[in-house]
Amino acid sequence: MRNRKRTGWHRVFNGVNIAAFFVVLFIGLPLYWLIASSFKTPLGIGVDPPQYFPDPLSVANYKSAFVQYDFGIYFRNSLIVTLAATALVLIFGTLAGYALGRLPMRGKFTMLVAFLMISVFPEIALIAPLYILLRHLNWLDSYQALIIPYAAFNLPFAIWILRNYMLGIPKEMEETGRIDGASPLRTLWSIILPQALPGIFTASIFCFTACWTEFLMALTFNISNNFRTIPVGVSQFGTIDVTPYATIFAASVVATVPIGILVFIFRKFVISGLTSGAVKG
Amino acid sequence: MTTISAAAGQSAVAAPPVGRPDTNRRKLARLGWLFAAPALIFVAGVTIFPILYSVVMSLRNVSVSGTGINMTGITGTNYSALIHSSVYRYALGFTVVYTIITVLVELVLGTVIALVLERLTTGRGWMMALLLIPWSMITVINAELWGYIYEGTYGALQAIFQSVGLGHPNVLGTPTPAIIGMMVADIWKTTPFVAIIVLAGLVMLPGDVYEAAEMDGASGWYTFWHITLPLLRPTLALAVMFRVLQAFGLFDLPYVLTGGGPGTSTTSLAVLGYDAMFKNLDFGGGAAVATSTALLVLLGCLLSLRTFRVQVGKENT
Amino acid sequence: MATVSLDNVNKVYDNGFHAVHDLSLDIADGEFMVLVGPSGCGKTTALRMVAGLEDITSGKLQIGGRVVNDLSPKERDIAMVFQNYALYPHMTVAENIGFALKLRKLPKDKLDAKVKETAEILGLTEWLDRKPGQLSGGQRQRVAMGRAIVREPSVFLMDEPLSNLDAKLRVQMRAEVSRIQRRIGVATIYVTHDQIEAMTMGDRVAVLRAGVLQQCATPQVLYDRPDNVFVAAFIGSPAMNLYEATIGEGGRSVRIGSQEIALPDSVTVAHSGLAAFADKQVIVGLRPEHLPAASAGTTGPTLAGDVDLVEALGSELVVHFTIDAKRVIAEGAHSADAESAAISGEGVARVDPKTPVKAGDRLNFAVDTAGMQFFDPESGAAIWQ
Repeated sequence: MRNRKRTGWHRVFNGVNIAAFFVVLFIGLPLYWLIASSFKTPLGIGVDPPQYFPDPLSVANYKSAFVQYDFGIYFRNSLIVTLAATALVLIFGTLAGYALGRLPMRGKFTMLVAFLMISVFPEIALIAPLYILLRHLNWLDSYQALIIPYAAFNLPFAIWILRNYMLGIPKEMEETGRIDGASPLRTLWSIILPQALPGIFTASIFCFTACWTEFLMALTFNISNNFRTIPVGVSQFGTIDVTPYATIFAASVVATVPIGILVFIFRKFVISGLTSGAVKG
Repeated sequence: MTTISAAAGQSAVAAPPVGRPDTNRRKLARLGWLFAAPALIFVAGVTIFPILYSVVMSLRNVSVSGTGINMTGITGTNYSALIHSSVYRYALGFTVVYTIITVLVELVLGTVIALVLERLTTGRGWMMALLLIPWSMITVINAELWGYIYEGTYGALQAIFQSVGLGHPNVLGTPTPAIIGMMVADIWKTTPFVAIIVLAGLVMLPGDVYEAAEMDGASGWYTFWHITLPLLRPTLALAVMFRVLQAFGLFDLPYVLTGGGPGTSTTSLAVLGYDAMFKNLDFGGGAAVATSTALLVLLGCLLSLRTFRVQVGKENT
Repeated sequence: MATVSLDNVNKVYDNGFHAVHDLSLDIADGEFMVLVGPSGCGKTTALRMVAGLEDITSGKLQIGGRVVNDLSPKERDIAMVFQNYALYPHMTVAENIGFALKLRKLPKDKLDAKVKETAEILGLTEWLDRKPGQLSGGQRQRVAMGRAIVREPSVFLMDEPLSNLDAKLRVQMRAEVSRIQRRIGVATIYVTHDQIEAMTMGDRVAVLRAGVLQQCATPQVLYDRPDNVFVAAFIGSPAMNLYEATIGEGGRSVRIGSQEIALPDSVTVAHSGLAAFADKQVIVGLRPEHLPAASAGTTGPTLAGDVDLVEALGSELVVHFTIDAKRVIAEGAHSADAESAAISGEGVARVDPKTPVKAGDRLNFAVDTAGMQFFDPESGAAIWQ
């Protein structure tokens, strides 16, 4: 790295730091706007010129999101669907990732490519048939209506990530386990999985984020209020004429904080997952 | 010099014995299929069959009745309707152009941000954490946020415009500003994500190449153009490819921010398909739109694979 | 207690590659047997067949008298130390050592006792609660050995366990491994590509090349009486000098290049087969240590060479010289780089450090004819009787 001597206030106000400051503004201002607006009163939200700082500061929106708009239900639904789908992805994903990464099967590579190819198909192409199928099974407006497609959609990427991590484990592990007397399943559980933990975290956080933010399928399959997830619920706050932005933002903050914290805690894994080759927005 | 090879001194070797096949390998291979099967079945069941069903549906006369969906005959009317539909043609062009522009801007902006962050000596960790927030936000929420900013009477944008004397903008009510406004929202949310990928790629670049370049007297710009970019190419290529393919399915943002409007000026292919199927109950037409979108994605996939010569996970087994 | 016996064992891979040819080897109880050879010679494959990690294409493998061809590794009662140890990084040293015992459902108190005992033998007691990542290379290697020892197997198998250590540590650990093996007294098969390791550690050494056993004998015998050119060139460092030469009448002299070397009766008698090669070409081998500098008192035959380079080691001088003879290379005995760098006619000699010699000189070497080796140029086999 270049070492350039910076003295005095040049140390603080050099080009890089100024540019970085603008980056912070670029990202931070809209975020600030979101958070600040969530504390505005219904009057304050629609005033022109807008209040750059909420006055008075009010947490009424947070209350109304839960009381008036059933946000609690949406939050619960999102949580259930996301956790269940992630669990399924982890179970099937580690098995498949292990097989495709470390077991001697023919056609491994083709299967991997097949998984990846499938994962790029746009959701819109699958919506109608899935809808028809779910309707046929009487599964519309249910948890499984979302859990199953979510799991299926997130499996390819999870398998890719998990496989990559497992490839990095020394190949003598299985042989050592075999000599020690461990069955293949025992080897996977006691020897390989603990070493693939970073991969498991990475796959989990990506799956969690994808499920938490998914909109199209949730909109199409779970229409009734009882099974709505957060994205759909928030988009339907209010009526044709009135968009209760303040409440929407309050709900948004509540929706974003948990995932924001999770992503922050697991950011190392997110970043390594992003650079491991395949990238999903 | 003469060489004595291994063959010298050995009597003629009889044909090598053919023994029993490697039993453990076979056992493990079978286990591999067993492990991978659930995932394979699951994914295929939820994606392959619906896609095929969609294709079939797009080629038939589909009508909806109280009992369900009825499909009769085989027909190309759904597709001919598409070709003749100006809304469809617009949606196709709009989706493609929108994707190209937003991805390009995100790429450039993201790279610039990454370059800035890479030079940062302190607080880089916090910056990366900040960058992750837009990515983790729900797209719907992002749409609502920008909807509030673009709001005609009390939005932040119109206030700023008025204070600098630019008059009264009607972003969401006029086609071109609506499109641009949507792009801005998309770019705001996705650029940080691109920046992270590029930054992570930059950090992994070998330092000695730069030291050699510096000793050779290369300038900053030259170094960037001729060393950094080529080295970054693999990372960028894959990221761009997936981003583009995913962008063809653009739905959340237009649906919530503009509803596809004003008129149909921000109606993407996915929005069009959704409206066709679930608002107009034209499943045949919607399936045709959906299938055409899938084909577009497939085409883009093949094209980018060839363009970037990206080898998807070729391992050496 | 057990012995290991390989009887005409072959390994042919699915793609037709014949990795091990008719290998027959017996390892006695408590013996330290080294399999040595250049990379790709099949030594690791042979080891893995004994371990049960590779199937045996044909031939019989016996451990402790019972045929184990079809038994899984676990059933063969063997333990293996891998080149990069393959320690479980998420488990402590104690857990690593005890893992195999845990799989056998040994009661906890017995398990702990055994782990402690093994740790003591290896000097690992204070590290039992650490994870491998916190240990040094030598310590990790000891943990790998501990994992093997604790199972009290019939056979130890070691696949180049010292290759990942730096040079100095390797020398230290060589002695340690030998000491531990002697203490445990279990038959051991040890694979290495380093002939110095082989010579210093092995009770017997089996030299392999391209899947074929060249010779299996004690280190001294390999050194004094190599069965063929390959073994002669492979064993010993610096390597033996090999030249094309012609045998004089009755096997009483040998002509190397333009120089004739008279062979004393003792040598002619020892290599009585040389008589059949009179006026014919053979390959003659002279170890560098058998070419001391000739002095005023030298009575025996001498060889004169033009000195190119003198390397001072302190204990001796390594003199690189050339003579007008054709050099012979045993393919695979040295690395490809070394082979391509060899100059025609070059030889190496180890002389007394006080010898006044420098590059450009012409030096006379006293030939220790007793140490000379002769080989049939077509088969490469050594010429004795």
